[in-house]
Amino acid sequence: MNWIWTVEMTLRFPLAIRSPLPPALASSLHRRLPILSSPSAAALSSSPPASPPLFLRPLVFSASRSDFLDFRRWAESLALAAGPRLTCDGGPDAGLLGRELSWLLEDASASSDSSVDEVRLRVELEELYRLWRERIEKRRPFQYIVGCEHWRDLILVVKEGVLIPRPETEVVVDLVAEVQGFEKGLWADLGTGSGAIAVGIGRMLKEGGRVLATDLSPVALEVARVNVERYELKDKIELRQGSWFEPLQDVEGELMGLVSNPPYIPSTNLSGLQAEVGQHEPKLALDGGDDGMDHLLHLCEGSSLALKSGGFFAFETNGDKQSKFIADLMTTRWRKVFHNVKMVSDFAGIKRFVTGFRR
Amino acid sequence: MARVLLRWALFAPLKSSSSLPFVQLPRTLHPPAAPTLATSSFAAAASPNYLHLPDDDLMAQCDLDTFKSSGPGGQHRNKRESAVRLCHRPTGIVAQAAEERSQHKNRAMALTRLRTLLALKVRKAIDLEGYTPPPELLQILPAKSTIRGKDVGPQIGPNNPKFALGMQALLDLIYALEGSVSGTAKVLGLSTGALSRLLLSDDSLRMAVNELRTSKGMKPLK
Repeated sequence: MNWIWTVEMTLRFPLAIRSPLPPALASSLHRRLPILSSPSAAALSSSPPASPPLFLRPLVFSASRSDFLDFRRWAESLALAAGPRLTCDGGPDAGLLGRELSWLLEDASASSDSSVDEVRLRVELEELYRLWRERIEKRRPFQYIVGCEHWRDLILVVKEGVLIPRPETEVVVDLVAEVQGFEKGLWADLGTGSGAIAVGIGRMLKEGGRVLATDLSPVALEVARVNVERYELKDKIELRQGSWFEPLQDVEGELMGLVSNPPYIPSTNLSGLQAEVGQHEPKLALDGGDDGMDHLLHLCEGSSLALKSGGFFAFETNGDKQSKFIADLMTTRWRKVFHNVKMVSDFAGIKRFVTGFRR
Repeated sequence: MARVLLRWALFAPLKSSSSLPFVQLPRTLHPPAAPTLATSSFAAAASPNYLHLPDDDLMAQCDLDTFKSSGPGGQHRNKRESAVRLCHRPTGIVAQAAEERSQHKNRAMALTRLRTLLALKVRKAIDLEGYTPPPELLQILPAKSTIRGKDVGPQIGPNNPKFALGMQALLDLIYALEGSVSGTAKVLGLSTGALSRLLLSDDSLRMAVNELRTSKGMKPLK
């Protein structure tokens, strides 16, 4: 059962509900009736209890403005005190935490006139205390706490078990948009995760254009499905489960383009990652093997078969060294297969992407 | 003959940035050090009005060059730099945005801020003899202005993206008249009070005018 989508439906069509409330919603509406807590939510293999992103929950709670402001002050002081400790592994500084706090409140409450003495909330105030403590003390990523990430002009649902889409990756969609005739082509997003790139591309496609988005992880596909449905792209994006090219055998040699943000962090670097990433995000989406390029090399090799002649590819890499290695390989050993191979920098000036065409 | 030829003057950094957070000016912007300064007739002819450029073209004139020194990025980092800093190469003006939740949106926000800053900081010379206010300036004037024709349409306020263009033309005129509100009001067919209200309606406009007036030893508007 797809919890998030069900809640979406109930939010959109509040009068049309005939079936009982979905478990997650029912339990939040009737928190004090443990009998209603959901067996299906507990049965979900993907660890934490399934609950919809904050911004999609109904405004059924409230708090007095002074209690609300108390929370804010407490959360700010917690962030301020924790700041120096968090930055030492590359974690957020007090400035970013302050912005995260504003975004948390933006997602969790309805904006209201400051003269009104009541703030309407999507979770109970105690829950906000718990969530913020988790953010600071357990370093749980902000995006998992609110259940979404703003990426390009999209709001993508995310949860534990799925890589949080990175700002760098926003550029992949722009790279695709530069390909002549991309709007009507058949595209593949391999290792789609939350479906970010696929949805970004899918929104630009015209009649005839399609994206096949694959992932090995069932949790990722479940989240991707929610995002595809939220943006009404079911007829443009098809989700397929499997490893890299395995689910694409029926379209071999037919793809106009192939994009991927595969795991590319060298295994030895995993232990040094900032806690939000290393302790909370899925290893499956990060670990690129000994030199980080296991999957990238597999993708390069596979795209020679998957792409049609003239087809385009864009891969995200760990940066300068990997990009150079891949680009060199494609212009030497595989020069007969690919051409017009380029490295593209991200906004920080790191050569983040390798792009090119199948001959 | 009141022919005032102003140079492309870039005035000192705004002291208070309350209305324009994250805006900084590099030191090279102080007029004596700026190599791009030229006499206005040359500069006006050679440089396009940046505000007329579409987003893509304006973006192409910018470096997105801030966050270069902060590690490997990508999958290594959670929420790395969704903040954006644009440096407009022709003028050296810098605009940043960090408060939006995606980099994509911060870029759009930074670009909007850049347009406001360009309007505030890049001055064009005006030949006061035979001066006619451009349509974008007429659009931000209140309806009671006697030079404002009926065909101009409703008044555009500070929240409209087109306000920056009008503000730029208004500042060009005020500079040409050396900060005189009454003189400017006369040219625009407004009472001094009505023009003052317009100048005070937008924080950045008010600060720009007061900066100029203070530099000329005049009282700031309140």
